Amino acid sequence: MLEMKRRFFLAGTAAVFAAPALGLAQTAKPAKGGTLRISVDQAASVIHPLLTRVNPEYLVTELLYSNLTRLKVDMSVEPDLAESWTPNDGLTEWTFKLRKGVTFHDGSPFTAKDVVATFKAILNPATASPGRNNVGPISDIVAVDDTTVLFKLSGAYADLPVAMAYTNARIIPASIATGDLKSLSTKAVGTGPFKLVSYEPDRLIVVERNPNYYDPARPYLDRIEVQVFPDISAEGSAMIAGNVDIISTLQPTEYLRLDGNDGVEVLRTPSGQFCNINFGCDTAPFNDARVRRAIALTVDREAMVNFVTEGFGTPGNDTPLNPSYQFFKAAKQRQKNIQEAKKLLAEAGFPNGLQATLIASDRPAVRTQLAVALKEMAKEAGITINVQTMPHATYLEQVWKKGSFYVGFYNMQPTPDGIFKLLYTSDASWNETRWNNKAFDALVAEARGTIDAAKRTELYTKAQELMNEEVPSIIPSFFDVLSAKRSWVSGYQAHPRASVFRLDYASLTDKAPKRG
Amino acid sequence: MADFIKRLLRTPQGAIGVLLVLLVLVIVLFGPMLAPHDPETLAPLTRYKGPSAAYWLGTDQYGRDIFSRLLIGARATVVMAVLATIAGTLLGAFVGTTSAFLGGRADELIMRTIDAVMSIPSLLFALLVVNLLGSSTVNALIAVAIAFAPGMARITRSVALSVRKQDYVNAAVARGESSAYIILREMLPNVIAPIIVEMTIRISFAVMLFATLSFLGLGAQPPAAEWGLMVSEARRYMHLSAGILIWPSVAIAVVAVGFNLLGDGLRDALNPRT
Amino acid sequence: MSPNYIAKRLVMIVYTLFIVSLIVFAITQILPADAAVMMLGENATQDALAALRENMGLNAPVWQQYAIWLGHVLQGDLGTSLRTGQPVGPVMFEALGRSLLLAFLSIGLMLVLAIPLGIIAAVRRGKIADMVVSLISYAGVALPEFVTATVAVLVFADLMKWLPPTGYVPLTENFAGGIAHLVLPVCVISVILIAHVSRMVRSELVDVLHTDYIRAARLKGISRGQVLRRHALRNALLPTITIVALDVGYLLGGVIVVEEIFAIPGIGRQLIVAIQARDLPAIQAGVLIMAATYSIVNFIADILYAWLDKRIQYG
Repeated sequence: MLEMKRRFFLAGTAAVFAAPALGLAQTAKPAKGGTLRISVDQAASVIHPLLTRVNPEYLVTELLYSNLTRLKVDMSVEPDLAESWTPNDGLTEWTFKLRKGVTFHDGSPFTAKDVVATFKAILNPATASPGRNNVGPISDIVAVDDTTVLFKLSGAYADLPVAMAYTNARIIPASIATGDLKSLSTKAVGTGPFKLVSYEPDRLIVVERNPNYYDPARPYLDRIEVQVFPDISAEGSAMIAGNVDIISTLQPTEYLRLDGNDGVEVLRTPSGQFCNINFGCDTAPFNDARVRRAIALTVDREAMVNFVTEGFGTPGNDTPLNPSYQFFKAAKQRQKNIQEAKKLLAEAGFPNGLQATLIASDRPAVRTQLAVALKEMAKEAGITINVQTMPHATYLEQVWKKGSFYVGFYNMQPTPDGIFKLLYTSDASWNETRWNNKAFDALVAEARGTIDAAKRTELYTKAQELMNEEVPSIIPSFFDVLSAKRSWVSGYQAHPRASVFRLDYASLTDKAPKRG
Repeated sequence: MADFIKRLLRTPQGAIGVLLVLLVLVIVLFGPMLAPHDPETLAPLTRYKGPSAAYWLGTDQYGRDIFSRLLIGARATVVMAVLATIAGTLLGAFVGTTSAFLGGRADELIMRTIDAVMSIPSLLFALLVVNLLGSSTVNALIAVAIAFAPGMARITRSVALSVRKQDYVNAAVARGESSAYIILREMLPNVIAPIIVEMTIRISFAVMLFATLSFLGLGAQPPAAEWGLMVSEARRYMHLSAGILIWPSVAIAVVAVGFNLLGDGLRDALNPRT
Repeated sequence: MSPNYIAKRLVMIVYTLFIVSLIVFAITQILPADAAVMMLGENATQDALAALRENMGLNAPVWQQYAIWLGHVLQGDLGTSLRTGQPVGPVMFEALGRSLLLAFLSIGLMLVLAIPLGIIAAVRRGKIADMVVSLISYAGVALPEFVTATVAVLVFADLMKWLPPTGYVPLTENFAGGIAHLVLPVCVISVILIAHVSRMVRSELVDVLHTDYIRAARLKGISRGQVLRRHALRNALLPTITIVALDVGYLLGGVIVVEEIFAIPGIGRQLIVAIQARDLPAIQAGVLIMAATYSIVNFIADILYAWLDKRIQYG
């Protein structure tokens, strides 16, 4: 029965997604043509698809490249360059069937060799790809024939199709992957819906339709201009003036400002994006779980949602999962309890309170807001927190992963496994908290080899209970992903993952201004 | 002295300048005592409120009383600007006077080097210094002082050069006094008046520079009630409540205009024109 | 104006740039950033970092690194951006072009407004007109650029919808659109300059009008207007050249903030991005280019001054 169910589940996913455009096509057929302007709030400094690190960069490489799979707005996975996939029984080998007749922007054909070379490049430590630990436990990858790729894994892994959609797992030509890999820093050779026209990292990136894209219907737009706005208020003004059509990432304050403006539609979707307070669990006084729990108990989570998100968020329970994730089961919500916090502090040897310096980088601004709010909330329990802000670059250099008390900010990951392996297991890519809890590691490892949904939910729930008890980091609230568009844009939705945009589905109505 | 004050108050600039600066001084001295609310306590229920009897100027994004924050932040804003200006002036005055006293090739070398330093815009220079030292109020103070020093050195030198030609300096040289004695005891006191005028005007520049550093994330640190930081934070929330932006801006304008007027008034009072 | 004088001024520019290069190199050396980490990112392996450091010459003594860097700069190679991997020079010079356009338009607007205002204030000293000009000039220095810019966008773009709020359109692409996008930033930058220069013109002119030479001319029976045009203005406006040239330093600082708010990809914006990302070669190149611009403008102003001064004395 279990066997049946899994086969059905997996084959079913692929079958349903064979006609991905169906859902949208049932209304009016999207108009072709036009130039769309989308704004981003920080420079896209890197367009090398294997090396991108921030959302504007993901946006650009998503236009120019394709993955094997991609994430739909409901966070489920659909085929991209792969048409279908099947695992072996132990979930340790996955076979992907590739789309036929696809070509790269330079005209060369796309084959299994390119997939193999791409993943070898991602996994090669010398490439220093941020996605190295996020594409699954791949031990070997083989081109069975021109359109079949076999992934051999070092352990059972149920999420591989989702991992294939990772923001760094864009497929590049084998000739570049094994040759001049660096050349992709200034040019783009992908199979994506758009081709690169010009690239000025701090101002404007222009792409135009790829006439040879594998889906003859898409993309609908002729041209997309990605404009960089260093100032969010200026970005909002440009939307009001109709000079940009989509704001890719919108701050809550700007959402409130734009809401109700003529011709502007604000978009909102709940998400697992969060800001957290990281503790260095190997550093006194934060090596004592009672101290960590005491600080967590000072947080008024409802108030926090208001302060840091203007209400565009949901309370957190000190674990990175929330209802936006699959396999989530709600646990008892931690409430503010100053008495209990004081008691825990006294037990931990701080009867007269505690002093600590909390570091927050200046981007995005919510980090500072969160820090300032925590400072005030913790005061009640006799905890004195000094907030220190610093430029983001200094923070990355001196504090991130090294500090013992600082504010982090993370996008929602595609799966629970993704977020745990990114931040919280002992072998996490960014093991910021140095929590190194063996029981927790074991639960996550077991879950990633489990296909049964109920069993997985149970394992993740146990893992979360451990986190909630030990508090390696305080997660006071989750953010909704906010975005805005002019009403003449159709087919664009805010994506919970925040780093997925799907602009090949966007189109302009006849109300849109004609440009260039 | 009384005569000088009379002359100062006779010009409209001087009179208004004195008035505004006195107002600022009162706030700096007594502001914290007068503040009706705690400047940092969060109040989730009173965010973005307009002016009312309880909150004269309304509340900000954390529900904090803007009026109280302005009263308390005056010290962080004005005292810092004054200190930075004084530090920059002392540094510049020392270099300028020394250069004027030494004269000749040494003077040439010092002044050319100062010209070179001045070719880096002061805001950029301050940015680099703060980045070097890390962002904090004290480091911003050091940065502004360093950024001001070359300009002040130039002005001091030109004033000092004219003093250098005076008889009492020549007499001191003839007496065989040491260089340090002549610079500190004979020359500096006589260059002070014009420097004070320049300094007064520069205090308003310093307030601007601090505010701009805050805007670029390199000045005072939240939740400080420094006015420049308040304005730059307010830019995010101004669409929800305009008062958050307006009141600290007004406060900055009062200081900037006040010290500018006072400086002009002092200048007129010191060089009475017919 | 002897060739000697020009030569001397040119030597000064070289000296200036030498000093600036020392300062900027020293600062970028001490900045808390590891160039190799900045380049390879947080996920780089220790081996890769060590190899890159060796490759970039980061293990050499500081003076040697300075000499190598200076050598490259003298050959016109300003280095490669750690952030984007592109050569810094072309990017910075293109950005400088946009900033200079902004700066020249601002200076133009300032001259057109500040000089007449200053003259009116001086001639009608103590009258209503003088008060009004004073008021304008004090208002101009009351607020930092980032506040004026914010308010300007709110009022003229969001509320009135007269002008595009922000963004940059190259003039070559769309001349009218490009100019429309420049109006607000140019006005914001000019405000402080107008305040400063109109006051300077006023006080210079007041001084000149009180000289014996002008009084003598008046006594000779030359009309007030003629005295003003023939004698006073020339003498009063001459120092304005120097003041305007010195204000270029202030202007270049103001450009940083204005470009940040109006999303103009000029050299100020490039510098901010470079400083935030700890992109050392870009910081070095940007500061050096700014200093060079300032020196060259002042050089031209000095030459102009000397030239005009002669004409006034003998003409």
